[in-house]
Amino acid sequence: MRPILLSGHERALTQVKYNRDGDLIFSTAKDQQICVWYAHNGERLGTYHGHVGAIWTVDVDPTSTIIASGSADNTIRLWDIKTGKNLKTWEFPTAVKRVEFNDDGTKLLGVTEKRMGHLGTIVVIDIEVDVDAEQTDEKSLTIVCDESKATVAGWSYLSKYIIAGHEDGSISQYDAKTGDLLYNVPVHELNQPVVDLQWSPDRTYFITASKDKTAKLISAKDLEVLKTYVADTPLNSAALTTKKDFVILGGGQAAMDVTTTSARQGKFEARFYHKIFEDEIGRVRGHFGPLNTVACDPTGKGYASGGEDGYVRVHQFDKGYFDFMYEVERERQNRLAAAATAGGQ
Amino acid sequence: EDADRINSADVAVVEHRRRLLEEWDSWRAMTEEELVEECEIMGVPLDPVAELLKAKSAQVAPDEEERVIE
Repeated sequence: MRPILLSGHERALTQVKYNRDGDLIFSTAKDQQICVWYAHNGERLGTYHGHVGAIWTVDVDPTSTIIASGSADNTIRLWDIKTGKNLKTWEFPTAVKRVEFNDDGTKLLGVTEKRMGHLGTIVVIDIEVDVDAEQTDEKSLTIVCDESKATVAGWSYLSKYIIAGHEDGSISQYDAKTGDLLYNVPVHELNQPVVDLQWSPDRTYFITASKDKTAKLISAKDLEVLKTYVADTPLNSAALTTKKDFVILGGGQAAMDVTTTSARQGKFEARFYHKIFEDEIGRVRGHFGPLNTVACDPTGKGYASGGEDGYVRVHQFDKGYFDFMYEVERERQNRLAAAATAGGQ
Repeated sequence: EDADRINSADVAVVEHRRRLLEEWDSWRAMTEEELVEECEIMGVPLDPVAELLKAKSAQVAPDEEERVIE
């Protein structure tokens, strides 16, 4: 797994995101610019300029036409991927910590920060996935989080639910049409914030990462915790691989936060776990600071991590990765192959 | 040698993993089935993006298509 180092940001990375085809990587950082890179060689294709604060989040629509970004300058912006043009800007009373398109790109959610006099909210904006279209000024829905502010949120399968992770370690399921709170479940340790939430390809389940040093695999339909991955460091991000049943966790404590003697470099590693068996199966070293964000290529070919050190590292998986299989997985593969042969005759 | 180590793992561990794998596969099968049913009820395609991409590539001018190939 020879990594490609993407250097272009001058400050800590906040989010990295692949497009659906896995050929482009979008990255945001505290340095106020969004970068887009070719995933296969790390060449920077361009940057998107306009935000005047740290950028916390980015997402790309499923047809790779537009991106949305959220920033500490209290705006969500929409951009034409190809030309870099800022198509639309929506203003909010507080910073925007997370944006996400639904499965067909027609709706965008934004998570706004809680500040004096302002409760945290989740807003929904209807989007025209067309660079020439006039975008609406209006929000189609606002969910107010009066219990504990939302830190992350996303759209379930069929845009049926909005799932949010909260500062108090709980997860909520909202009706995505009405905004009604359907369930709230304390899945992580109390008051250990949920800091990331990423979806399986069909959006029927997702993975959360928390400062409580665990990541959890959760069903979108009933918020049942299916799996728990235990790390030895506070987590910042968790991603699901396709093709293989792995999860990748990123985290680590910044040196200034470490009270014990040495912050060994090992703390700054991407951690691979088996999704079904919950075992840790490997680590990838490289960053010189905590991993703030990890993302998997939706086509299963690699992954990218963004660090507090200002670098994005892109890894293409090698043959060993794809060949790795537990004995019981091999059994299953052989069984399926035998069944296919029998069926084919 | 990873494989050897795993091969020599305790039978109980392997049994446990086999059960976890079966549980996961059956949960996935059930969930996928429910999703297909819900899509049918709502009259929406299982993969809405496939339709969108088809529409998008139909729109794209031929010279642009060539430009994409690098």
